[in-house]
Amino acid sequence: MSAIRPSDLDRSTAPLPAEPRPYQFPRISRATLDNGLRILVAESHNAPLVSLRGLVRSGADHDTALTAGLASLTADLLDEGAGSRDAIRLAEDIGLLGGALGTGADWDASYVSLDVLSRTAEPALEIFSDVTSRATLPEDGLERARAERLNEILQQRNEPSSIAGKRFAALLYGSGTYGNSVGGNADSVGRITIDDVRRFYEQHYIPNNSSVVVSGDVEPARAIEQVKAALGDWKRGPEPARTTVAPKRIDASRIYVIDRPQAVQSEIRIGHLGVSRACEDYFPISVMNAIFGGVFNSRINMNLREKHGYTYGARSQFAFRRNEGPFVVAAPVRNEVTLESVSEMLAELRRIRTGDIEELELADVKSYLIGVFPASVQTASDIAGRLVDMELYGLPDDYFDHFRENIAAVTKDDVERVASKYLDPDRALIVVVGHAAEIREPLGTLGLPLHEMDIDGNMVPIA
Amino acid sequence: MLKIEDYRLSNGLRVVLNEDHSAPLVAVNLWYHVGSKNERPGRTGFAHLFEHMLFSGSEHIGNNEHFRHVQAVGGVLNGTTFFDRTNYFETLPSNYLALGLWLESDRMGFFLPALTQEKLDIQREVVKEERRQRYDNVPYGTAFERLLHLAFNSEYPYHWPTIGSMEDLEAASLDDIREFFSTWYRPDNCTLTIVGDFSTGEARELVERYFGSIQPGHSFPPFDAQRIPPGHEIRETHPSQVQLPRIYRLYHLPRMGDPDWVAADLLTTVLASDKASRLERALVHEKQIAQDVATYVLPTEAAGMMMLQATAREGVSIDEIEAAIDEEVARLALEGITEDELTRAKNRAEIEYAHQLETFDSRADLIGMMATYFGDPSLIHRWLDPYRAATANDLAHIARKYMIPENRVTSLFVPDRSAA
Repeated sequence: MSAIRPSDLDRSTAPLPAEPRPYQFPRISRATLDNGLRILVAESHNAPLVSLRGLVRSGADHDTALTAGLASLTADLLDEGAGSRDAIRLAEDIGLLGGALGTGADWDASYVSLDVLSRTAEPALEIFSDVTSRATLPEDGLERARAERLNEILQQRNEPSSIAGKRFAALLYGSGTYGNSVGGNADSVGRITIDDVRRFYEQHYIPNNSSVVVSGDVEPARAIEQVKAALGDWKRGPEPARTTVAPKRIDASRIYVIDRPQAVQSEIRIGHLGVSRACEDYFPISVMNAIFGGVFNSRINMNLREKHGYTYGARSQFAFRRNEGPFVVAAPVRNEVTLESVSEMLAELRRIRTGDIEELELADVKSYLIGVFPASVQTASDIAGRLVDMELYGLPDDYFDHFRENIAAVTKDDVERVASKYLDPDRALIVVVGHAAEIREPLGTLGLPLHEMDIDGNMVPIA
Repeated sequence: MLKIEDYRLSNGLRVVLNEDHSAPLVAVNLWYHVGSKNERPGRTGFAHLFEHMLFSGSEHIGNNEHFRHVQAVGGVLNGTTFFDRTNYFETLPSNYLALGLWLESDRMGFFLPALTQEKLDIQREVVKEERRQRYDNVPYGTAFERLLHLAFNSEYPYHWPTIGSMEDLEAASLDDIREFFSTWYRPDNCTLTIVGDFSTGEARELVERYFGSIQPGHSFPPFDAQRIPPGHEIRETHPSQVQLPRIYRLYHLPRMGDPDWVAADLLTTVLASDKASRLERALVHEKQIAQDVATYVLPTEAAGMMMLQATAREGVSIDEIEAAIDEEVARLALEGITEDELTRAKNRAEIEYAHQLETFDSRADLIGMMATYFGDPSLIHRWLDPYRAATANDLAHIARKYMIPENRVTSLFVPDRSAA
């Protein structure tokens, strides 16, 4: 069957691009109030929407082994009542304005977000300010949040990716910062009191530890005035101390198998300590990780998915946090190819360290990271997110203007250097959540120390 | 107001252009009017497996080169399959519009010469892993599949989910792929939408250059499947590897776009969207018997569906959850909703729509949907009109007419203690 009419078009090579159009990240207007609150505004009028973001520069990094989950529970309680409104009234009034409120915490910070129609941005800012600085933190709110969290933790016991993530973090960092879950565990969540929550809020939700970002369909000078009116009387406090991490050192790679007898896939995590967001090699590491496992066309995904058909997706990530986050390679694979998948991951880690890097793959990845930036900041909410990152990690105002040249400057030698320096397949944790009876013997042939533990991390004798 | 140009090439390809210079980007989006609805029993999962194959190269583009070409210029891309359609899309720096059209026209016009058994075998394995990862290895993963089985008679193609069954994926052959491609992947079964930073005249020329020579096909197999309403509720209890019991319900609705479907969409916001919504307030916030509750309507073309689910807290029976849901729905049916609730639901629809229009890629996808299901991309200007026109009584009417036992199926996922 001939589906094509003759045509003189040459389809054999990709068409050449037209002249590139310039891209400019929105200008940022700034102000710092007397109480220390930093305000950032980015104006864009593509949609009748405004994104408000509150950043509090303290998160689960302030939790202890005993209070794991405290920062995150505190964030959960913010919409249980604020200012003169209770939880229901807050939800009703935000709904009447046409908004969506979110609160949460991660390792490095706590967040409030409110996306609204721009015609109601002003009354929305008042509610946003209440939630951020005048949360009432009612005791019955804690009981609701606690019960919800405990049930969530219970549900996670059947989720393989969640089990793998928790065990990997605990093995790498112990019970200190980054070693627990942001959400805590059943013991710690059961123990947290309303006084703990109120104390955390009082010590950390202070203007001199916070920033407010306004992005979208607004006029910057006016937006700054409105934030000032809403949050100018927020009382400052002593600056919270910064935390550090105490990772466990590993002298040789070892395997931990976590048994899930009903599993039809093995969740694999291979990794070790990574770097902080402030690492001087941030750009070369970003390029190297993109080649290794950061994009669809990365080595690890091409190998495991497209060459072997072992998985729906394999990836790697450096978690750039305030302190050294983990580096991890991850994939779910079917039981029968667990050993093969672990072996391919280790082999790919070894290969990239030898400097076996093609000019073309380096060029492709760099042009991807450079070119994709405008597509990743199309919305008011995307732009707000970038501004929050700038504030959280102390990036300069012209950071996004120089982002592209910083990526462009990365050389093959840089990639080789950071691969050797920051990847270490001989001192890696290999965590596999799967059907132990099917996978323990094959994994044993790797000749590495192999341990088994239950999903709570208790060591169990090998059957 | 958005500038929309809507026309057809002589081969039947529908082209919709929306020029917008607010960012130096261009979104290229193709909706093929084929999905799992066009499969037959024994060959389920085929439309989706085919979507994977379409990334494995065509005559002038090598295996995985499609991804490489797009990513190497800073583009993002993907494809998705649903009951009624398959879409393929890329967002590129705007000076690469021709690249996107070259790639998409090559797989529309020149796919078959590059097809090999080896590529099919790899993608079959990848899709089986996708099924394991999303359905078989996670709690509640098979709930949607189970609901569809209960809700639709076995000949009706909404009976199965787009992922298909492992057995059918195993059975798919190269000949099946060739036949499927020839039947459905043709310009007269496709809408090409381009949104972004280009000049309309230039885009028209490029589209003609790359797609104009691709020939249309013959007639399409008719879609004549009939849903047979059972006339009573169908229920099951499914012991499974979950910690907490969860109730899943599917209510039958008219197709997407029908005024009742729109009212049902608004009603789902009244029922479960935030702490002030009916079910969330009663079950999660006040009684604290449920962990979560969610309702939504599906964007489906042949028949509509409203989904509802709620998870019981530890120690709470699923019967108690179900009774509480039924009580709230009955109250709503009897007493109606308030004007404030209606306003909040309409506000949410407005903000969600504004978010969809905000990016070029989601706007292009919305236009593709409107052209494909409703034959009218200019609906983009009027989509919210029926939402704005809906009354409180229209929403209560949905609860009365559709949220009744004989119009629903129910699947109760309960912890399987025997395997613990």
